[in-house]
Amino acid sequence: MNLKNCYNFEDFRKLAKKKLPSPIFHYIDGGADDESTLRRNTDSFNDCDLVPNVLASVGKPDLSTTLFGRKIDMPIFLSPAAMQRLYHPDGDRASARAAEKFNTFYSMSSMGNNTIEEVSNISGGPKLFQLYVHKDRSISDDLIERSRRSGFDAMCLTVDTLVAGNREKDHRTGFTTPPKLTLESLISFAMRPQWVFNYLTGKKFELANVKKKTDKGTNIAKSVIEYINEQYDPAMGWKDAEYCAKKWNGPFALKGVMSVEDAKRAIDIGCTAVMISNHGGRQLDGSRSPFDQVKAISDAVGDKLEIILDGGVRRGTHVLKAIAAGAKACSFGKMFLFSLAAGGQQGVERLLQNMHDEINRNMVLMGCKDLKELNSSKLIYRNRK
Amino acid sequence: MNLKDCINFNDFRKLAKKKLPSPIFHYIDGAADDEVTYQRNTSAFNEVDLVPNVLRGVENVDLSTTIFGKKLDLPFYCSPTALQRLFHYQGERAVGKAAQKFNTMFGVSSLATVSVEEISSMIDTPKLFQFYYHKDKGLNNAILERVKAAKFDVMALTVDTITGGNRERDLRTGFTSPPKLTLASLFSFATKPMWGINYVTRGKFELPHLQDHVKEGTSTATSIGNYFTKMLDQSMNWKDAENLCSKWGGHFALKGIMSVEDAKRAVDIGCSGIMVSNHGGRQLDGARSPFDQLAEIVDAVGDKVDVICEGGIQRGTHMLKALSLGAKACAGGRLYLYALAAAGQAGVERALNQYRVELERDMKLMGCTKISDLNRKNLRFRKT
Repeated sequence: MNLKNCYNFEDFRKLAKKKLPSPIFHYIDGGADDESTLRRNTDSFNDCDLVPNVLASVGKPDLSTTLFGRKIDMPIFLSPAAMQRLYHPDGDRASARAAEKFNTFYSMSSMGNNTIEEVSNISGGPKLFQLYVHKDRSISDDLIERSRRSGFDAMCLTVDTLVAGNREKDHRTGFTTPPKLTLESLISFAMRPQWVFNYLTGKKFELANVKKKTDKGTNIAKSVIEYINEQYDPAMGWKDAEYCAKKWNGPFALKGVMSVEDAKRAIDIGCTAVMISNHGGRQLDGSRSPFDQVKAISDAVGDKLEIILDGGVRRGTHVLKAIAAGAKACSFGKMFLFSLAAGGQQGVERLLQNMHDEINRNMVLMGCKDLKELNSSKLIYRNRK
Repeated sequence: MNLKDCINFNDFRKLAKKKLPSPIFHYIDGAADDEVTYQRNTSAFNEVDLVPNVLRGVENVDLSTTIFGKKLDLPFYCSPTALQRLFHYQGERAVGKAAQKFNTMFGVSSLATVSVEEISSMIDTPKLFQFYYHKDKGLNNAILERVKAAKFDVMALTVDTITGGNRERDLRTGFTSPPKLTLASLFSFATKPMWGINYVTRGKFELPHLQDHVKEGTSTATSIGNYFTKMLDQSMNWKDAENLCSKWGGHFALKGIMSVEDAKRAVDIGCSGIMVSNHGGRQLDGARSPFDQLAEIVDAVGDKVDVICEGGIQRGTHMLKALSLGAKACAGGRLYLYALAAAGQAGVERALNQYRVELERDMKLMGCTKISDLNRKNLRFRKT
């Protein structure tokens, strides 16, 4: 199996599994507890059906939209994801370049392995920076300042990661950052010599944007879970979020909002967008899926905030359903990380091309000329009256 | 696999399976008929989703709750279960001490293998006694007096075992109390020698609350289904429950209530709590799950009695959902029994601690710092 055999999520996932040492594969692939929310994030799309209109003279549909003040060519983008150099030696460089090519957002995690400045130098495309509020507030201030200087377009603050989720696969595989060899994982690393070679011969693995401020996750083997629990501030409140929004003073989103009430408060503190997300099912298992919740949030605040659905998206039809239910755009992490692991920049480009083609084809099949024509009249929910 | 590899319910179950002779494992693990209700008890939790609130400042979480007038540090406790010394030689001594360590309630069964007197002298944290209403009224009176003298805090009358459930795994494995070697089970007992050694050397297997009154289960091998059918009083009615309640004179609960109507009658006869339960799916297969039924019951009587959700709970998030619907506490048997079988007191402690850690984490992720912060606004049902 290689990249040219990858047509969908499951194909990229399989190829990534082949290429990555198992603790690293399972770090991407796993969710919290019993992974019921992880599964539901995708399953929820199947409880809702599309109703096409025929003979609509569609021609070539317009897939573009605006988000965070930038025009993007299609309503999907790459979610922020930590430590991308674990998955491919090019790390964020690969995903940023691929996103630029399709003129859509690339997002950089606070826990990226490439620096804000480095990525800004190689990509002129739309860029979003993802912020965690650290206990040491000067770390967050520094990240905001550098993102501004480097020309990032927007900022999102993650609010669903006050404590680390119970990712049991990581307990079992002993996943840490930087990777630590255990007896159990040794075999798995040994069977992927290419990965090990790249890892050892590439640039030193580090959390590039926070390394001056903390040695956690850079010098000592730490599980991500411990990093989150030590570094992020569980006392973070609305005041802290407002402080970040004001300090950034540009397009600003909260990432991880699930309740209507919180979406309304996001407006009050100066947000321009919310990312409806449960962190890919990696935090609170049993929590509602973004798609199950998107309509209620859009009905309440869709005229004041840009709504981004993040979680469970694997198909063009999922994107269509999300937009019809009120989202402005969708983002995804796991799916592009698998494509990154499978083939670096080329892999991510292939994924984005596939998704573009799927969205395009499905818009034609739905009889829609542009994204505005996708509205709730195109959807029927099976279990709702 | 050993105890330190156990990080969830299913891990404890696997380790218990490795340690127990198969008839004993399947006695815990099995349920009635096709086990449809047993499975539904857990899967019911998956049809409702949690909706968290963010940016609430959640450094410190208080998990305490008050039921039957007693403050517990955790909103869940150990349901009464029979025959614990069959699962680990420490039996009730292990579970009781673990419960004490976490300051939560310990439920003791009429079919316990350690006496109420010993338990009472061993732990000073809240204790519940589970009462089976026998045909032999002398036995009923004797038990009631002993439990009273041992200063238990709560009496819970089980009302869903009027006859034995059809536990087919027990029929196939030939599980009885006390354990009986059959040709079929011999191999399984032989392959778990540690269990056998402990069973023979760690003190005689006894049912101290019953043995002066009945031979069945104590000196004559009987299945639990047969015991219920033969020994318990099938004519038991609301009047009997009311009489028992007033004779007890303290906090009294009915365990195994499933209908709103019965919950209301429980209030009328003087109960201060009810356990919404189908006996872990071990009695009437096809019965509704406690979680599915919880909201109706809370709506009807939640302001008058403590409603406890018992059955199917395997995760902190399951407890969050039940508490959000209005349960005052959660309880479970298998919740700690596999852990008991896996490693005695250390196992139960590890299990209770894991649920505590899960709950605390999940509360933070929900944006809640105390149990009373949880309410139905936290929940969305998928089918509306």
